[in-house]
Amino acid sequence: MSEIALDRALEALLFLSPEPLSIVRLCELAESSPGEVQRALAVLGARYGDESGLEVAEIAGGWVVRARAELGAVCDRLRARPPDERLSPAAIETLAVIAYLEPISRPEIARVRGVSAEATVGSLLDRGMIEEAGRVGDGGAMRYRTTPAFQERFGLRGSSDLPPITQFELSGAEAEAVRQRLRDAGHLDDEDA
Amino acid sequence: MSASGRVADPLRLPLELDLFEGPLDLLLTLVLREEIELAELPLRDLVEATLRGPDEWDPPTTGELVLLLCSLVELKARRLVGEDDDDDYAPDPDAELVRERLAAQLIAFAPFQRAGTWLSMQDGIDGAVRYRRVPLDRAAALQAPHAPSELLEAIIRLMVAPPMPSMGHMNRERINVGEIVAELRGALRRTGRVSFDELTDGTDRLAQGMTLMACLELARRGEASLAQPVPFGDITVHRMQPGFAGE
Repeated sequence: MSEIALDRALEALLFLSPEPLSIVRLCELAESSPGEVQRALAVLGARYGDESGLEVAEIAGGWVVRARAELGAVCDRLRARPPDERLSPAAIETLAVIAYLEPISRPEIARVRGVSAEATVGSLLDRGMIEEAGRVGDGGAMRYRTTPAFQERFGLRGSSDLPPITQFELSGAEAEAVRQRLRDAGHLDDEDA
Repeated sequence: MSASGRVADPLRLPLELDLFEGPLDLLLTLVLREEIELAELPLRDLVEATLRGPDEWDPPTTGELVLLLCSLVELKARRLVGEDDDDDYAPDPDAELVRERLAAQLIAFAPFQRAGTWLSMQDGIDGAVRYRRVPLDRAAALQAPHAPSELLEAIIRLMVAPPMPSMGHMNRERINVGEIVAELRGALRRTGRVSFDELTDGTDRLAQGMTLMACLELARRGEASLAQPVPFGDITVHRMQPGFAGE
């Protein structure tokens, strides 16, 4: 298959697929080598420029042709969004803990968050955002990790596509502000400062 | 009402409201509101009554209970030693350690809270998942071409009334073991012995099974004996003379 024909074939496959297609899968479907597929994807990506409503993107370990982010609002007018798809702030925070510390058990999640994570973890399991990742030793607590569905939902290329956690750490002044709020609320004495 | 009376009643109260999950929660709240004089509260009786309660606790519940009782003990101790007198006040080093841990935990968790905020901004409901997610087989089925004549034929087939469901199974003949026992007794009374194969000749498997149960019942009562010389061969039922119920 010539390169020009290959990028058209990949365009058709990505258009039809209901899920991201990995390079390996694209190679199988297009009967081409990984190098050829990657070059064709680059050609395809260049074709969907800024003037297009679509883009070629790598997400959840695969490739998709999708609507551009700035068109999300107009796309939402076309599709129904059940309210129960929304994640609560507690669920988002728990997801963040799991995503950065996976595989991690419920007791460890509760230790990081400072509150029980039973119900939240159960809800995330039901929604397919996380999955079981084996136990700690024999008979230990079950550990959990995020799923490709999580990566798809949050637009991540893979499990390692998160910003470094150090980017979110509090600065010295911000940490002191937290202590000050505790003092103001009567939870810390002035001597602790 | 005495202090002990105050303790006994709430412990027997199966209270479960939005704010209270049990009598101990209610008790702690009343103490904090100073509607119960904590100094008069017999904590030892309270702990013993709680431990003797009928419920079995899982580890989280036990932990909460211990925390609750410890809070009551601490409150009472502070009340009894008059900690509120500022002159003699000395900070509790353990409590300060706990508070410092709280601050450290909040600071350690803050990056994950911020990461959660970042994730919220990436949430695919409004952003990332912007490609078709209809399963291919379903999409293919929706696109299958159908001529108008095919659709007309399909509708006509749908409009034909389906055959009435068979109710035959509702009128199936019921077999009564008592009746078979009575028939068996009659046959034994007439002939002294009967062949199981002859008894069940031409009957279905259910009737054969019920007849065998009737034979066993007569044998159990001592009214008949069973003989089967050859495995899987015919069974001969003999009438037992003494005490034969039919005579």
